[in-house]
Amino acid sequence: MLDLIYCELLKLKRSKMLPLSILGALATPIMMALEALQTHFKYPERIFTLNDIYDNSLLYAMLLMNIMVFAAITAYLFSREYTENTLKTILPVPIPRAGLVIGKFLTLFLWSIMLTIVTWTGSLILSGIYHVIFGLSGFYITIALQWLLKLLLGGVLMFLTISPYAFLAERSKGLVVPMITSAVMVMGSAALCNQDFGALYPWTATYFLVKGRMESTGYPISLAIAIIILVSVMGFYATFHYFKKEDLK
Amino acid sequence: MEYIIETENLIKQYGTATVVDNINIHVPKGKIYALLGRNGAGKTTAMKMMLQLVCPTAGTIRLFGTDYRENISKLYCKIGSIIETPGFYENLTAYENLQLLGRLRGQRKVDCIHKSLEIVGLQNERTKPFSDYSLGMKQRLGIAAAIMHEPELLILDEPINGLDPIGISEIRSFLSELSQIHGTTIFISSHVLSEIEQIADIIGVMHEGRLIEEVNIVELHKRSRRYIEFTVSDTMAAIKLLENHCQITDYLVHGNAIQVYDCTHNCGEINKIFVENGLLVTKVNLCEENLEDYFSDLIGGGGIA
Repeated sequence: MLDLIYCELLKLKRSKMLPLSILGALATPIMMALEALQTHFKYPERIFTLNDIYDNSLLYAMLLMNIMVFAAITAYLFSREYTENTLKTILPVPIPRAGLVIGKFLTLFLWSIMLTIVTWTGSLILSGIYHVIFGLSGFYITIALQWLLKLLLGGVLMFLTISPYAFLAERSKGLVVPMITSAVMVMGSAALCNQDFGALYPWTATYFLVKGRMESTGYPISLAIAIIILVSVMGFYATFHYFKKEDLK
Repeated sequence: MEYIIETENLIKQYGTATVVDNINIHVPKGKIYALLGRNGAGKTTAMKMMLQLVCPTAGTIRLFGTDYRENISKLYCKIGSIIETPGFYENLTAYENLQLLGRLRGQRKVDCIHKSLEIVGLQNERTKPFSDYSLGMKQRLGIAAAIMHEPELLILDEPINGLDPIGISEIRSFLSELSQIHGTTIFISSHVLSEIEQIADIIGVMHEGRLIEEVNIVELHKRSRRYIEFTVSDTMAAIKLLENHCQITDYLVHGNAIQVYDCTHNCGEINKIFVENGLLVTKVNLCEENLEDYFSDLIGGGGIA
């Protein structure tokens, strides 16, 4: 399995998707920094805290930017064997088809976690610069580390909800279908993130869970977790099943 | 005889279309078996089934004497393959692509990568990403990937596609050497019949999904008919002379050329008759049917599309 992960990582060498995904993960901290600057010049008396920055970062990362980036890297990882026509070269090596899919999901997990850390680090650095120039209340590393744990939990939950995109990438053999689907899902998240009903929508339920907002929605936590697990399992199963049975024409 | 590849009533259907129809292929150990057929004959699908890229609808495949689904990792480590145009990761170099395949195979030594790149003449292209390769270079890398682990069986689908004449000649010599010196069994398909004729030990011909012929090349040469070809100024007059003076009826006419299959007659005598009757004979050749003629006869002309 280590060999499979090593090979998946080797495949990313010189790949444009890696720096692009890092830029995508940095979009949230950059947006937060711009918003903080804009507010500072409009309302100079307002004092920001590190908590505020990370709170907003969590919202943007989980419901908007990072979920789109995760969908893009999922689609890239699972469709490139088709777009670059490599399956007929690597499958007869031989590699078990299930092993190849597991290797991809593990790489996707590592990549997702790395991007989450990039978002957290970006927020910390830009907050640090803001703190040095304008002053930021509660700028403590302990607070930042608490938010790191929350973001990592968010990263794991987001990883669970992106498995359907892997199936879509495999089925459509390209990036377009999963990317359009992810745009639709993000619009759904934007519409539901302020509503109690969002607890039943897997892509906002993950945010509610990390944010601790489930109680206020009136829906049981177990129901939200069950929905996330159901979507995740369906995505994983469809990806494995389709790839295992597929004829390479 | 020990067969390295043996299929029994192998069938592949996509919906109602049968692309491989009950084929029984027998590839003996250490031989070069060439699978011929027009586009869409089912050659690639048959090869894909052997490599587990496509699941057969019915029938069995035996590789090295065992069922192809048993002990997969051990069995397929002994096989190298190219299916159509080889696919590699565009952002990686030739070396990195081979390193990746070696790693997946559990092969960590780099000597074999250097050696295989040298064999196909890509040793100086180590820094160029695959996306910058020409078609011929891609094909060469495909061959390098197929041979890097010194397999006992090579399954090669159109391996010389896109190669220049020198490249074709080099690969032909290399495949012959692999078979004759190292005893590698080679199962190959190609559209370049003249090349196949020079290296193959056995020819299999597929047409519309069926294997219609499986013949040893020695046997094929025995079957090949010889003929004398005359290029004359007036073919109609020449035909009359052949029929009336020589009692020859076994001939074919192609433009100004007449192919006389009845070789019991002396070509000098026929030539003398033509000349004495005022015909201008510009060329006389003693020929033998080649693989292309055999192939055209077998599947009804048109050559391989």
